[in-house]
Formats: sequence, structure tokens, C-alpha cells
Amino acid sequence: MSIKKVGSAEFKGWVQSLIKKHTVYGVQAKEDRFAFDVLDAPEDLRLDYDVTILPPKKYIQPQKEVLLTFDENGVFESVMNEESFLILGVHPYDMVAISQMDKVFTKDNRDEHYMAYRERATIIVSDVQTASKDVFAGCMGTSTGEECSGHDVLLTLLADGSSLLEAKTEKGEALLDLIPNAAEPHEGDLEARSAIWESNRKELRKHELHVAPSDLPELLERSYDHPVWNEKSELCYACGSCNLVCPTCYCFNVQDDFNWDLKSGTRSRCWDSCMVSSFAKVAGDHDFRPLAAARYRHRYYRKGKYVPDMIGEIACVGCGRCITSCTAKIANPAEVYNCLLEKV
Amino acid sequence: MTKPRVAIFDLACCEGCQLQIVNMEDDLLNLLTVIDPVEWREAMSDQSTIYDVAIIEGSITRQADEIKVMEIRQRATYVVALGACATMGGVNKLKNNFAIHDVKKTVYGEAANMPHLDTFTVKALNEVIEVDFEVHGCPIDADELVHVVKCLLSGQTPSAPTHPVCVECKMAENCCRYEYDELCLGPLTRAGCDARCPANGFWCFGCRGFLPDANFTAAREMAAEHGKSLEDLESKLALFGSK
Repeated sequence: MSIKKVGSAEFKGWVQSLIKKHTVYGVQAKEDRFAFDVLDAPEDLRLDYDVTILPPKKYIQPQKEVLLTFDENGVFESVMNEESFLILGVHPYDMVAISQMDKVFTKDNRDEHYMAYRERATIIVSDVQTASKDVFAGCMGTSTGEECSGHDVLLTLLADGSSLLEAKTEKGEALLDLIPNAAEPHEGDLEARSAIWESNRKELRKHELHVAPSDLPELLERSYDHPVWNEKSELCYACGSCNLVCPTCYCFNVQDDFNWDLKSGTRSRCWDSCMVSSFAKVAGDHDFRPLAAARYRHRYYRKGKYVPDMIGEIACVGCGRCITSCTAKIANPAEVYNCLLEKV
Repeated sequence: MTKPRVAIFDLACCEGCQLQIVNMEDDLLNLLTVIDPVEWREAMSDQSTIYDVAIIEGSITRQADEIKVMEIRQRATYVVALGACATMGGVNKLKNNFAIHDVKKTVYGEAANMPHLDTFTVKALNEVIEVDFEVHGCPIDADELVHVVKCLLSGQTPSAPTHPVCVECKMAENCCRYEYDELCLGPLTRAGCDARCPANGFWCFGCRGFLPDANFTAAREMAAEHGKSLEDLESKLALFGSK
């Protein structure tokens, strides 16, 4: 696979050609924050962003998605995404999360609805240029383009304003072919990229985790009755913000809606959150986790034990979105896991 | 299928929730294919005492209102409370924070003791009669009413969300109002509005009512954290949270 070096004007021209050829979702300013949105012009792209409010997951597992339609006789037809699209500027930690979702949604039963989006997605990862205030990807081994996989192109901005573009797949190679007469990088450029990776591993550590991520399942194994769950959850609004901004939360709720004939209709799924009070409520109003403390604990077990037991990877990528979005300031995974170390 | 006879009534309110139904436009015609409206002051001149479903907006502020809703309850198979005034008293309940004679004197002046102005403490519909379904909000979202109607007609139990506005606010990828040090009531308030106010740059006013398990302890601590006084918080909570 090839690596190209492009100047800033050339890069802009390349983004313009991507927009011409594909539906491009790129990072843009949103009030004082950043968000992925349809990119209309290269000038709107903000690869200097720190973190987006929602992860790019929203294009692969949308907030709400119609799964099927059913007619008055109960005959149903699946609804599948058929549109191809390109996501431009995904940070490495979010790419690690997407790769985890790929495992989750293909393990056991293959989720065709998820895969219909995933297989039509072209992903350009961008190394982080600005650390967000709560990122701790450096602690989780997810902070650089060297540590993620599953993307088509890796983009790294160098100090001289030029960018290195490395194709990772055939799809990525085709994207690089859109640049006429692109230069080959020098050895010094690759060393500069390695230096950026080394720097990001150190810089993307706004919170320190005092336990090796690989030891989290074992730490949690003996922390079920730790007082931190009750203490922290006293201020929990059970608002689900930590779940909804998380790139590795994938739970959904399924609902049927009738058309006006009251016989035909649609079945759709919508993001759900294990922190909200209705999440574990089942038939007969039985509730597996009626207390906020139990739901609070459950979330940390999902990230540090249950999902790792299932796919062999820690399901927290250190993006820090939950820390930023928690109004009550109780959702810092590094702080919670450190607590388990100190006070058992 | 025989179309159910539906009557829409109004008590003390701005009638904005009824207006939301009139404003349904295309969907209003669809609605009329499944229900038979027999009384609806804002949209038709007919009246009726025979109906299957009563939709009531507004809050109860006079004895005459109490008698009226008890009659409606006897006649209707289902009673639906429409909008914040009906589901929880709405902004009208601000009145309950003051002595009733002061309120009457301030509003009606010398006419305060006229019999037709004999108002009392504001009550929500469910404080007087049994209510089968509630459509929350100030004003209501017509789509939610449509959901309730479709559920009733297809034998399902309609349900309002039991999680806070933050859920829908995050899904809409809005900037959190707390990042601007605003006292947003979203973390305490029942969702179902698609976080319309925060999406337009306003803090949540709490018009869909506070959740039964709303964490007011956290709300007080977070007010202080964002440099707001308890009075700031209480005054915001009073708008849709007065008893």
C-alpha cells in the first residue's frame, strides 16, 4: 500500500474531489464543539478538532433506524441501507471502537443491518491534532493511527503543514489515486510521523489510569461490592448521557409503529442506555436493575469485564466523552477504576 | 370498524394544545379516518354528550370545572389528559404559591368576589378524576397524540418515556447547556420532545414534568457547581413544578 505526501493546497483539492465523488461526512464546528456532518466544502473541514460530541458510530449504527416494514397480513420486508458514504477525520480511538463494534455485530448472529452500513463506509482516520480536555486514549493504547485498524486511509498532519496519506486498503488506494502527481514521502517524513505518534501517546492522557487496561477484568472480578458504586451513583441523574456519547455502547431498543390503517407499519430500533430506569424493565414490570447504583456499576462492568470477556478487548477507548458529558461529574472511568485499586 | 366518538374539551389553559391538533394538517385528515370527532370547540360547532374518548386540555381552577370533568369521566370509556395544564396543572399552578385572596385581588381587582370568578387552588386532571393516558408538554407534540390514538385503537398500552430529556438531547448532538453554565432542567425532565428547546439554544423549562425518580440532590449540587444559587434553581423548578 502506498504513502503519499501532499501540501495544504493539494490536500484541499483532494477533499474537493472526494466531495464530488462521494457523500462525505466530515468534522465541522458546532457552536463551541465539533460534530460530524455532511461536508459541502473543504473549508468547513476541521481536522484540528479535539473531540466530536457524538462518535462517528452514528453513521454505522444510526440513532434511529427502520429495520423492516410489515403489511396488513403480517408479511414483512427488511429495510437495508444501500448508500455508500465516506467518513473523513475519524480519530484513532473512535476507529478502535468501530472495529470493536464490527466484532460485536458479527459474533454469533451477524447483524445485517449494521453490516449494510459498515460495508458501505469508507473511513479516513486522522491522527489527533488537538487533545480534548478529558481524553485518556494514551492510557488505553488507542491514541495513534498506529494502534487502530479497519480504516481505509490514515491521514497525519506534519509540522510543515503538509499531510501524509497512507492507504490501508484497496478502497483507500483508489482514493489516493485521485491526487495527481502526489509526492512520495522522505524517510524524514515517516520519522516525523512516528514522533507525532510518540507525542500523542504522552499528550492524550488528561486522566491517568493506574491499572493496566488488560488487568481491568480481574480488578472488576473482585470489586462487585466496592463502596464506590453507591457513593458515585448518589449524584447520578440516570440520564444516559455517558452511554449515548460512548463509541462502544451499542444497545438498542426495538419498537413497532402502525400506519393509519392500524395494521401495517414499521419496526425500528433506537439507541438505548443501560443507565436509564426503564432499561432492564421486562414483561410483568420486573426490573433487573431498579437502583441507579446497580445500573452505574453495570456500565463499568460492561466496559471493563463483560464485553472484554466476549471479544477480548477492553470496551473503553479513552475518548473521554462520558467525562465531559456527565452533568453530575461522576462518569470518569479512569477515576472510578483507580478508586477500585485504592480502597478495596 | 366503527370509528370511536371523540370529544375534546378545554379547561383553564391557552388552548395551544388543541391548536397543535388543528395544526396537524395532512395528518389531521388521516386522524379523521380513524376517529369521529363529536365535540371540539376550536374546530367545530357541534356538541355531544355521547362519546367513547374524552380528550381534556387545561387545568381545574373552579368548582364548575370539577363537576364538568366528573361528568365527562362518567360518560367516557377513556380519558386522555392533553398537555401540561391537564397532566400536572402547568404554569397555572404558579398561582398555588400565593394566598388565594391575594391572587384574586391582583387579577380581578374590585370584581374579585363576583361568583363567576370564584377560582380556587389549581388542580391537575388526575387530582380530581382517574386519567387513562397522559400526553405531556407545553404545548403537546402532535406526533405523541397520534401515537396514543393509534395505541388505543389497536389495543396497545401507550407509554410516555421514563428517561430524562438528556437522552434525546445527546442523540440530537446538541451542545449541553451546562457547558454554558445554564441551569437546564433536562436531567430532571421527562423526555419525548426531541430536546426541542436545547436544540434551539435554550435550557429545558421542564414542561413535560419531572420524572418520579428525578435526582434533585444532584440538581442542587450541580447548580452550585455552575455558580447558581438555590433560589435560581427553585425559581426555575417552580414554573412547571409548583404543587
